Amino acid sequence: MNGWQGKILRINLTDQSVKQEDVDPGFAKDFLGGRGWAIKYLYEEMDPTVDPLSPDNMLIFATGPLTGTPAPTGNRYMVVTKSPLTGSLSNSNSGGEFPTWMKRTGFDLFIFTGKAPQPIYLWVNENQVEIRSAVHLWGKNVPQTTDLLVAETNPDAKVACIGPAGENLVLMAAIINDKHRAAARSGVGAVMGSKNLKAVVVYGTKQPAMYDEKGMKKLSVEISKEVGEGIKAGSSLREFGTAYVPQVTNELGILPTHNFQSGQFEGVDSIDGVALKEKYLIRPKPCYRCPIACGRLTKVADGSPYDGEGEGPEYETLSALGSACGIDNLGAITKANYICNELGMDTITAGMTVAATMEMSERGLIPDSDIGKPLRFGDADMLIELLEKMAYRQGFGNTLAEGSFRLAAKYEHPEIAVTARKLEFPGYDPRGAQGMGLLYATASVGASHMAGDVAYAEVFGVPENIDPLATEGKPALVKRFGNAFVSIDSTGMCVFLSVRYIFDPDLNLWPTRLTELMNLTTGAEYTPESLIRAADRIFNLERMFLIGAGFTGKDDTLPPRMLLEPLSSGPAKGYVVHLDKMLPEFYALQGWDENGVPTKEKLEELNLSEIVYS
Amino acid sequence: MQISVKLLATYRKKLPEGTSGSTCLLEVPTHFVVRQIVEKFNLSYDESNVVLLNGRVAEPEQTLQTDDIVCIFPAYAGG
Repeated sequence: MNGWQGKILRINLTDQSVKQEDVDPGFAKDFLGGRGWAIKYLYEEMDPTVDPLSPDNMLIFATGPLTGTPAPTGNRYMVVTKSPLTGSLSNSNSGGEFPTWMKRTGFDLFIFTGKAPQPIYLWVNENQVEIRSAVHLWGKNVPQTTDLLVAETNPDAKVACIGPAGENLVLMAAIINDKHRAAARSGVGAVMGSKNLKAVVVYGTKQPAMYDEKGMKKLSVEISKEVGEGIKAGSSLREFGTAYVPQVTNELGILPTHNFQSGQFEGVDSIDGVALKEKYLIRPKPCYRCPIACGRLTKVADGSPYDGEGEGPEYETLSALGSACGIDNLGAITKANYICNELGMDTITAGMTVAATMEMSERGLIPDSDIGKPLRFGDADMLIELLEKMAYRQGFGNTLAEGSFRLAAKYEHPEIAVTARKLEFPGYDPRGAQGMGLLYATASVGASHMAGDVAYAEVFGVPENIDPLATEGKPALVKRFGNAFVSIDSTGMCVFLSVRYIFDPDLNLWPTRLTELMNLTTGAEYTPESLIRAADRIFNLERMFLIGAGFTGKDDTLPPRMLLEPLSSGPAKGYVVHLDKMLPEFYALQGWDENGVPTKEKLEELNLSEIVYS
Repeated sequence: MQISVKLLATYRKKLPEGTSGSTCLLEVPTHFVVRQIVEKFNLSYDESNVVLLNGRVAEPEQTLQTDDIVCIFPAYAGG
């Protein structure tokens, strides 16, 4: 095969058996790769009602056909499993270098089932597969684990591992690759920990074959050149990273502040890209073969308690560990970010869980003695202390390790948790960005901007600037962005490059250039129509998985704060999320019935009948 | 009349020298419109930029009023 390696690796951790398996070319094309292949295996082979932390959960690492090719940003992988935080699907995405080296071992996917009797790690060295003891690594943090594994395998090996948080089944545990890159959301690290799987180490030199290598390289160079021109014209991602975003969302009145009690933060000037560049930036850091370089190599060396080094913070971190918690000390936020990377936790869920705690403590809804002392918005030192306690499930950290939904339920104030499907909101208050509200309510994984980020259009003007406060046209927009992101996640590309450079520059988000890249690489003769239909197929199979797991249309909703409490200030003052104006039209466009279930006709149109009804 | 202009991200460097932060104050004639502010900073009013008036999507011919805030940033994503 071209693009795809055409082989998957199955690892049964219970009996420590490993099996190589060829991939059927027909299914390969219809489900694209990456996220698409993963849901097909998951749907067909796993009972969707399993306990996510039981040995019966399947954990899938999935590269795409463009991963490891010359395609700019062709460097991504997905972690797909049933989430212990949400009970829904996980589609966590990461870049860096690990995904490319994983692809170069000659396998498109690793599928883990069962549970190892003792901590182990998987070492895939070209096509040699070994299960090795990780007893000596258990308890070690991410950087320590990574360094030790590289030393005992290959100096050029790449590592994806869990830290103490994953080992302790913390529900916001992440899988960290290359020390600073995260498949973060949905508690995928806890699934890995529940299997006693400490790490996956890869090394390989088997570049994926290409159908038209010359054509592929030519198009890749053309796209990279355009990115370079874009950077000269003012694109901010290289100069500031995603840290330029707080000023933008603050200006629109949608920067999460004090647990989404407001959308503008007084301290925004202290936590923006300019401040990060002036104070802590060493240099931009790209993922492998990325022309954008949005990553931040940073160091805090004030002589303060916040000294450290690593990568980040990203926008979502500046929101969740910053403005949502009322914290404007950039050094403290950066340190908190390093701690999350070292211990292996999702900064969004971790930060928003502390933000919920801060609100509840201020309102007297959690006894001070439970937390240890009163907790107020702005308390950076307590944030850092609690993050460490969460990773080790110590004291009150044991409660926080379960996320904000369970925290708020425990103290009988469920309305305080700002979640959808129990997943904490990312950095866009949907009362001021209506399309994001519809996205959060309907995405397979819960409230995630990475499921189809209409904020590109509502906030950033990409591909076109649209009114974030309007509901008209948003159902169609969310559907198109959703399918676009499925195709990006399945092919192995990065969304930052894709939306601007490989989709047509209008709101139809037609994948003209992505189709070209796919055909030059795989030779599979996609059309833009068949590519989007494949994305639609994948998304609807995910929806069927959710329904099998027990979700209904009633779960396509948002917290009362979003539906009933208008923003009290800023440009979106007076707005709630008008979900009722958008959801029925969204269901109709998707071909779902009034309960949000894909109709028989829809499933037939997508050739899913056999999979779903067998 | 006096208005504020906020230039964000890479456009911050276009602010007058000595400006602290992302905002500068500007004296403009009455009946000035949003488009004229964008042009004043040598930027184009097209899909390469996002232009907001008081945090809302702006129309190019909207008339400005005292204390209005015009915000401009390049249309690149994301976060």
